[in-house]
Amino acid sequence: MTGTVELGVEDQAPQPVPLNAVFATDFVQILVPVTTADTMREVAAAVAHHAEGKRVRAQPYEKVVFHHGRRLPPEMTVAEAGIQPLEHVRVEYDVPEGAQ
Amino acid sequence: MALLKREEWQQYVRDVNWTYSYVDDEAVYPEWHSGTGKVPRSAWLTWEEDYKVTYPEYVATQRDKESSAYAVKAALQRSTTFDHLDEGWKSSTKMHFGGVALVEYAAVLGELKMARFGLNAAWRNMATFGQLDELRHAQITTFFGHEFVKKDPQYDWTQKTFHMDNWVPISLRNLFDGMMIAPNVVDLAIALPFTFETGFTNLQFVALSADALEAGDVNFANMISSIQTDEARHSQQGGPTMEILVEHDPVRAQWIIDKNFWGSARAFAALTGPAMDYYTPLEHRKQSYREFMEEWIIDQFVHTIEDYGLKKPWFWDEFMRGLDTWHHGLHMGLWFWRPTLWWRPKAAVSKDERDWLREKYPNWETVYGDKWDVIIDNINNNNVEATLPETLPWLCSMCNLPCCNAVQARNGRWRVPEWSLTYDGKTFQFCSNACRQIWWKDRDNVNHETLIDRFLAGQIQPMDVGGILTHMGLTPEVMGDDPDYEAWTKDYAGRPATGIAAVAAPAGQEGA
Repeated sequence: MTGTVELGVEDQAPQPVPLNAVFATDFVQILVPVTTADTMREVAAAVAHHAEGKRVRAQPYEKVVFHHGRRLPPEMTVAEAGIQPLEHVRVEYDVPEGAQ
Repeated sequence: MALLKREEWQQYVRDVNWTYSYVDDEAVYPEWHSGTGKVPRSAWLTWEEDYKVTYPEYVATQRDKESSAYAVKAALQRSTTFDHLDEGWKSSTKMHFGGVALVEYAAVLGELKMARFGLNAAWRNMATFGQLDELRHAQITTFFGHEFVKKDPQYDWTQKTFHMDNWVPISLRNLFDGMMIAPNVVDLAIALPFTFETGFTNLQFVALSADALEAGDVNFANMISSIQTDEARHSQQGGPTMEILVEHDPVRAQWIIDKNFWGSARAFAALTGPAMDYYTPLEHRKQSYREFMEEWIIDQFVHTIEDYGLKKPWFWDEFMRGLDTWHHGLHMGLWFWRPTLWWRPKAAVSKDERDWLREKYPNWETVYGDKWDVIIDNINNNNVEATLPETLPWLCSMCNLPCCNAVQARNGRWRVPEWSLTYDGKTFQFCSNACRQIWWKDRDNVNHETLIDRFLAGQIQPMDVGGILTHMGLTPEVMGDDPDYEAWTKDYAGRPATGIAAVAAPAGQEGA
C-alpha cells in the first residue's frame, strides 16, 4: 500500500525567504534573506545586523518583528507566521514603558 | 538672383502635407505610434510652433555654437583648471556625464519618432531639428567627458553608464524608456518636451551652468549653455501638442503629465538633490535643492498646467513633503552604497554643513542627524568597515530607486513606511504611494526588473557584495569612495560614542 503524507511546516526543509525589511529608525528598507525555519528572534538579528550600530545607535533592549502590523512572538518561525517572500517586516526595539 | 525673404517662403515649406493615394493613412501613421486617440485627425492641422526656424538658419546657428564650445574647450585643455576643481564638483560632473550622455541619444530616437509619426508636418519639421539637437548633445557630452578619462578613470562612465546593469542607469533607463522609447508620439511630446524639458531640464541646465561657473569649471558651463539653447527651441514641441490634446482629451493629458512629473522628480531628487545640498562646497551654495525646486520648477510648472486648465497632480502633497526628505535619504543611500557609484560622494555633514542643512530643512537633524552621527562615530573609531554595505537597499518596483522615504507618523515618529501590493501572486514593494499607483495603472507596460529582482532570480553570481559589484560593472579603480573622510568627521573626533558596531577582528583573528 502506498500513500503520501502531508508534512507539517515543522517537518519541511527550510526554504529561502527574501524579505523587505527595515530596522527601527533606519533610513532605508533593505534586502534580508531568511529561511522558513528562522525564528522571529533570528529574523530580528538578521535585519539588525545591517543597521544596528552602523546607522541606528544600538539600544540594550530586545528586538521584535512586526508583520502586517502584527507583533510576532520571538519563538515563532517564518513559516508559522506565514511570512511570504518579498513581504515587508519591521524590526523595533521593545523599549520598556518609562524608558527613554 | 535675389533670395526670397524668409517670410515669403517659409509658410510653404514648414507645413507640407499631402494626401496618400497608394497606401492607407493608417499604414503611414499607425495609431500605436501616432497616438491620436480621442483627438480628431483634423485637429492636428492647427498645430503651430511659436518659434520658427529654417534649415539654413538652423545650420548657421548650430555651427556657431559648436565652434564656440569647442574653441573654449581647446583653450582650457591647456590649462590646469581641472586639477583645481573641488572633488564634490567633479562628482557632480561625473554623475552628469554618465547620467546624461546616452539619455541624449535616447532622445534622438524620441525626436525621430515624432519626426516620422507626428500628425502635423510642422511638428515633424521641428522634431527633425530636435533630433539633430539631441545628436549634438549626445556627441558633445560624450566628447567633453571623454577628455578627462586620462586624468580620472571614473570619467570612463560617461560612455559606459548606460550599458551597465548598475542600479542608477537601470533607474534612468526605466524612466527614459517610459518617456521616450515606449510611448506614442503624442504622449512622448507631453512627457519629454512639455514635462521633462520645459518643466525640469531647461531650468536645471541654467542653474547647473551657473553652478559650474561658481565652481570654476568654465568648460562645463560652456557645454551646458550650448546645449540649453537647443533645448529651449525644441522643447516648444510640447506646448502646441498639449493645446490640442487638452482640448479633446484632458484626462489623458493630466495622466501623462502627472506620471512623468513624478518620475522626473524622483530622478532629480537622486541626482540633482545630493549635488546641490551636499556635493557643492558650502561657500558656493546659492540656494538649497528645496528652494531651487520651489523657485524654478514648482511655481513655473503649476502656472503652466493651470494655464492649460489642468490641475495639480493627485500626489501633490506627497511630492511637496518629499522635498524635505527624498534627496536626503537618497544622499545617505548613495553614500552608504558608495562602492556602487562611479563618482566619489562626499558625506558633507561637518558641523558647519549641518548648520546649513538645519537652517534649510528644520527636520533634517531629527530624521537624518542621528544616522550620520552613528556613521561619524564609527569612522572616528576606526571602523569604516561598519559603514560599508553587506546587502542591497530595497529598490522600488516603479522608480528603481532605494525605498528610503521617511514619513512622519501621527505619533510624531519618522519611519520609512511600507508601500506594497500583490499582483499575479507576487508581492511588489514601492518607495512611495504615488510610485505604487503609477505602477498599478501602467502594470501592463514594460517595467524594468529592479536589481533586487535580478538578484533574487539568480542573475547575479556569486550572490554576495562582490558579485553585485561585478554585475554592476564596478572595477576597483572606479568604485566610489568618500574623497575626504576627515573633512566632515574631524569636528566630532574624541566625543564619547556608545551603541556603535564592534570593530571587526582582523582576518585570521576571528574568535580570538
